[in-house]
Amino acid sequence: MSANPDAVDAAFFDELRMHYNESEIVELGVFIAVNLGFHTFFGSLKFYPLFSPDGRLLTQAESEALYGSAPGALKAEAVT
Amino acid sequence: MTHIAPLPHDAITDPEMRDLIAQGEALGVPDDLFPRILARAPAQAKPMMRALLMSHVRGNVDHKLKEIVRILLARFADDKYFASLRSRKALAAGLTEKRIDEGCFEYEDAAKDFTEAEKIALRFADLMYLDAGQIDKAFYDEMKKHWSEAQIMELGSFMVCHYGMAMFMRSLGAKASR
Repeated sequence: MSANPDAVDAAFFDELRMHYNESEIVELGVFIAVNLGFHTFFGSLKFYPLFSPDGRLLTQAESEALYGSAPGALKAEAVT
Repeated sequence: MTHIAPLPHDAITDPEMRDLIAQGEALGVPDDLFPRILARAPAQAKPMMRALLMSHVRGNVDHKLKEIVRILLARFADDKYFASLRSRKALAAGLTEKRIDEGCFEYEDAAKDFTEAEKIALRFADLMYLDAGQIDKAFYDEMKKHWSEAQIMELGSFMVCHYGMAMFMRSLGAKASR
């Protein structure tokens, strides 16, 4: 949906239906759509997780150094 | 036909969901197609409809400007469905198709008379899903000259909800509503 929306076609939905019912597909679609939108916006705001993977409270500078300066889930090119 | 068929009207019995559908139809965005698909996942449908409607209609950013932003993003997402819808409230307030096109494609043109605040809001939308790397500290510093932090969050959250749902409707193969 994010990197190659044209690939999400009728055949793709047919494949999805082999594993999920229509309610679950809508649930997944909404969840993905919201996250697709939010991660780009949040990435531009430059804020990072408050805690390290082992539970330590981090400053934003420490967190940026630990987690990186770009959201990992949306490194693909924007849709054109 | 969309890849996931909308529920028939009479299959949606939840009073709040029916009210949200009616609110969308009264505004014109979304019409009843989107929420009737969404209604297949009731736990997601109501909060999503509330977020779409509230972020569009309420707040402290001009509704006409948000309507241009919404259409710009739907066009960018290549979603014919949301791009074809129009807010009746924005049209009643004087928004025209000519102004929508100017806002989507020519807002930097001085002859089109967009204010500096409107221009940077439209640039914000233009860049967010095209080149978010350009929305950096300097960009936000410039934005803060024209918009409060609350208004910037209002615009950002509005863009997030509507762009995400435009991408979803594109994936569902939804066609233009008019």
